[in-house]
Amino acid sequence: MTYFEPSFITIISLSAPLVFVVIGETITERSGVVNLSVEGTILITALTAFAVAISTNNASLGVLSAGLVGSLIALIIVLCDIKLNMNQIAVGFVLTILCGKLSSFLGQNYVRIPGPSLPKVDLPILKNIPYIGPSLFNQNILVLLSVLLIPMAWFFLYRTQFGLNLRSVGENPTSSMSRGINPELMRILGTIIGGFLIGIGGAAFSLHAKYGWSEGHTGNYGWICLAIVIFGGWNPIRAALGAYAFGAFQLIALKMQSITIGFTQVLPLIPFPLMIMTLIFIQMFNGEKRRKLPVLLKPIIGGIEPGSLGKPLKKEK
Amino acid sequence: MDNKLKINLLNLGFITIKLLVTFLLISLIILLLGGSPSEVMESIIYGAFGKPQKIVKTLLIWAPIALASLALLITFSAGLWNIGIEGQIIAGSIGATIIARSALGESIASPYIQIFIGLIFGGLWGLLCGFLRVKFNVHEIFGGLGLDFVASGLIVYLIIGPWKRAGIASTSGTDIFPDASWLPTLGKYNFQIIPLVLVIGSFLIIFILIKYTNLGLRLRATGINPSSTSRYKINSSLYFYYAFAIAGALAGIAGVVQAAGFHHKLVPAISGGYGFLSILIVLASSRNPIITMILSFFFASMIAGGSQLQLRLDLHSSMISIILSSIVLIWLVMRSSYLNNMFNKITSRLNLEK
Repeated sequence: MTYFEPSFITIISLSAPLVFVVIGETITERSGVVNLSVEGTILITALTAFAVAISTNNASLGVLSAGLVGSLIALIIVLCDIKLNMNQIAVGFVLTILCGKLSSFLGQNYVRIPGPSLPKVDLPILKNIPYIGPSLFNQNILVLLSVLLIPMAWFFLYRTQFGLNLRSVGENPTSSMSRGINPELMRILGTIIGGFLIGIGGAAFSLHAKYGWSEGHTGNYGWICLAIVIFGGWNPIRAALGAYAFGAFQLIALKMQSITIGFTQVLPLIPFPLMIMTLIFIQMFNGEKRRKLPVLLKPIIGGIEPGSLGKPLKKEK
Repeated sequence: MDNKLKINLLNLGFITIKLLVTFLLISLIILLLGGSPSEVMESIIYGAFGKPQKIVKTLLIWAPIALASLALLITFSAGLWNIGIEGQIIAGSIGATIIARSALGESIASPYIQIFIGLIFGGLWGLLCGFLRVKFNVHEIFGGLGLDFVASGLIVYLIIGPWKRAGIASTSGTDIFPDASWLPTLGKYNFQIIPLVLVIGSFLIIFILIKYTNLGLRLRATGINPSSTSRYKINSSLYFYYAFAIAGALAGIAGVVQAAGFHHKLVPAISGGYGFLSILIVLASSRNPIITMILSFFFASMIAGGSQLQLRLDLHSSMISIILSSIVLIWLVMRSSYLNNMFNKITSRLNLEK
């Protein structure tokens, strides 16, 4: 127990950025928009957060501005989609490259320098819970928020009218329009909220999980997050569990690093074959095949893609 | 007749406006990033075409980019997002290195064997992505990305493991290939003819394939609507395999050019990011083979010329990629149906007046 208990907290702490990003992307995709720019967005928002935190000497302000930049990029994608009828994937891919390179260019002066750290939360009663209390409630604010976000996102999507409207637009924009919902507005809002969370995920990289800034700082985890969303079957709780699974994997890899010397360069790339294998496994149970699953297993594996995901809204004339 | 001329002139006018807008926006971006547009452009043009040896180098950079762009034309025609192209380039370069390091590496035929093996390796790596897509329904974006990273893991492992230089294992690359394994050069500026022959040959093959053959027609049909093709007894899966195999083979050749023509050894960043760059090129060229070739040459000149920005103007090397991806974004926006409709409206109004 003494060995696993700190590991458990480390996984939660290490996975905080991934949790923000996968939940943000889940909300985005639920409204029918694929924000493929995740990799670029988290790079540029990680830089934004770090740079703002240094210049204002206030880490929370850094997190906020990272969220705003994330929303801005998301807004570009959704406007290109609904106003200009452009391919979401194409715009997302170009923005990935653009934002990634922009972060290298603008981040030149921020490479490996120290900066302010995030405030720690101090919850007087919860801190005294045995085992998890001292470690979980003695983390910085982003870790706590990432844990709280999971039930909040679930509640938002499945228990509020707004979440229902969002999901219905993602499923079938035409029929939700006949129910008096504005599909364009829902797509814009869903994407902006999602983009804000993805941006905070970027901030959680540079201000918490991998403190500081270097070129290509987020190490391709943006792509992994896109795959985790599919793994999670477009459900925020399962997506977050997927993020924790990858966090656990990261931790194992880190611990193995001391055992296998000379293997260091290859180690960061291991998540990717794992990603392919996970997707193969998941695709076996997605879509139609999911119906044949036993009832008990249905909430755990497989998922159905939002009906209008990646498709442009059809204009009725 | 007069009317037709008018419309042509009008189209020319629109293209000029688009180019001007792009030019102005790019100048603005350069200014915002702290550079001087005229200095940057002058430096790029000098860096790409200033001296004979610079032109030779630009052409050498163009070859793999053009090959990768042609590869992507095939997969985009079939409606596939071949993000796995980086991995296919790496696979080709690994194939080339196997030959260069073997006994065949000393023979005069080595470059040609390398091209053949690189083609096979790239094609197989591409097929793997097609296999994931067809058999396991893994979207090619994720399958391709995964395979990209697997390939870059493999290349790092090979460089620091089995193919490490005597005594030191570093990520700076393998030993230099034996002289016979370099792509042959001509003249005092080390001009390499083979990459250009490969590019022009591949262009002709791809152009004819897409425009004039049954295979090309079926590929495009699969791309436009994969589910309807089955009604015409076209097996979509089969054409996905064809597309990935052909694209992978071309990307593999690009990898051989990178290894045997440019670096003369295997380095971890052998693809130079040219795969992703080619995706941008094909996106901007709206899948037209001729525009793709012109655009790939333009992009290659920018990259060749931009390599000196850091030295001459103290601007970070990522400046060029920022400019290029901005150009693509601007063009995509300008080509979007909204603006196109506006242009069409103006054209048709002129038609009515006549």
